[in-house]
Amino acid sequence: MTNDNPAADDRLLIHALVDGELDPAHALEVERKIAADPALAAERARLLALQRALREKVPPKPLPAHVRMRVERAVGIGAARSGRGRPTWAALAASVAIALLAGSASTYVALAPSGGDRVAEEVADDHLRALMASQPYEVASSDRHTVKPWFNGKIPQAPRVVDLAQQDFPLVGGRIDVIGGEAVPALVYRHRQHLISVAAVPDGKRAGAQLQRRTVRGYNLVGWRDGNTAYWAVSDLGAGELDAFVQAFRSAPAE
Amino acid sequence: MSIEEDRRRFADVVMPHLGDAYSLAHWLTGDAADADDVVQEASLRAFRAIGSYGGRNARAWTLTIVRNTAFSWLTKHRRGTVVAVDDLEAVERAQALPGREGALANPATPETELIAKADAARLEAGIAALPVPFRETLVLRDLQGLDYREIAEVMEVPVGTVMSRLARARRRLMDTIGNTER
Repeated sequence: MTNDNPAADDRLLIHALVDGELDPAHALEVERKIAADPALAAERARLLALQRALREKVPPKPLPAHVRMRVERAVGIGAARSGRGRPTWAALAASVAIALLAGSASTYVALAPSGGDRVAEEVADDHLRALMASQPYEVASSDRHTVKPWFNGKIPQAPRVVDLAQQDFPLVGGRIDVIGGEAVPALVYRHRQHLISVAAVPDGKRAGAQLQRRTVRGYNLVGWRDGNTAYWAVSDLGAGELDAFVQAFRSAPAE
Repeated sequence: MSIEEDRRRFADVVMPHLGDAYSLAHWLTGDAADADDVVQEASLRAFRAIGSYGGRNARAWTLTIVRNTAFSWLTKHRRGTVVAVDDLEAVERAQALPGREGALANPATPETELIAKADAARLEAGIAALPVPFRETLVLRDLQGLDYREIAEVMEVPVGTVMSRLARARRRLMDTIGNTER
């Protein structure tokens, strides 16, 4: 408000009055001014009418059920997690602990933070974002001969797509992720109700030859290198099951 | 902090306000599908940041993230939509100078009865036509019922700014209702 309008402050205070923001002493003072000035009284009447019209007439914008479900699914809460017969994350974590104690066939390396961590973060973010989308893949197919050609023309090199249905990791589709500013192919597999994304990052020279394991925001990731491509698998599966997936993926025969 | 702890906090802090989050995103973007995207992106951000939630006002905390996400979204997808408030207030000051016809200096204020008679479509169109800084203030106060302090927290501005923006928002909305009435 400007100084040219001497009533500007009083007008602001009327808003505060109708909003119930004034303490009793100030409210009383403003009430007195309103009683003495018909213009201020008219302003209050208009504001009350406006508030009432807004409250009673503007239709609410209710939260669509699918938005709630997507959010719940993405963070792993609500109905999506409470299905019976499915192991809880805690149970999976326990089984991972046992697997580690028993000694895994794979060698896990605890690495100092490196370029791989940034990639792992991005892979995890893309996975989480995909879970929030209406469907976590752009091409939906369990047939690798459909999924692989879909990538042609979208990215320089189509990824290696393997069929793991026999190992209880059916292919469900593929999508394009953006990792380090580059469009890279990502495959989506399923294990029970859990989805696994596998991003294939070309020129993965920074990836070590050994398996790398990360946890980003509760999601497990396993990274490895094959030729010049770095692969990152990410899922809310327990580390033991994700490890089993990676082993199946790596040992599956190429086409 | 474990993932289960994060999930529990997210369920306690964010989920109760997802309806408000969606409504705010809808008003800011003006579109249901866009609101979907903004709420999902904001939920992702909130989940990642849940460890930093300070335990004060869960609704204000959640809506702050939604608002910031909506602004990034608008900047990315609708360049030019988010008018800088400084520009806006300079325009209004110029309009309010003596001798110039302007909404603030010489408001053509509609009668109370006209405001009371305004239908839903006119009100919605009037809100949608408000510049973003005014629209968000009005939505947070008059549709979502936040108090001045909460709004100041969400918009990261002083309470005095909330008051002046709210007054301008209501003034503009009343003028729109009056001027479009035949």
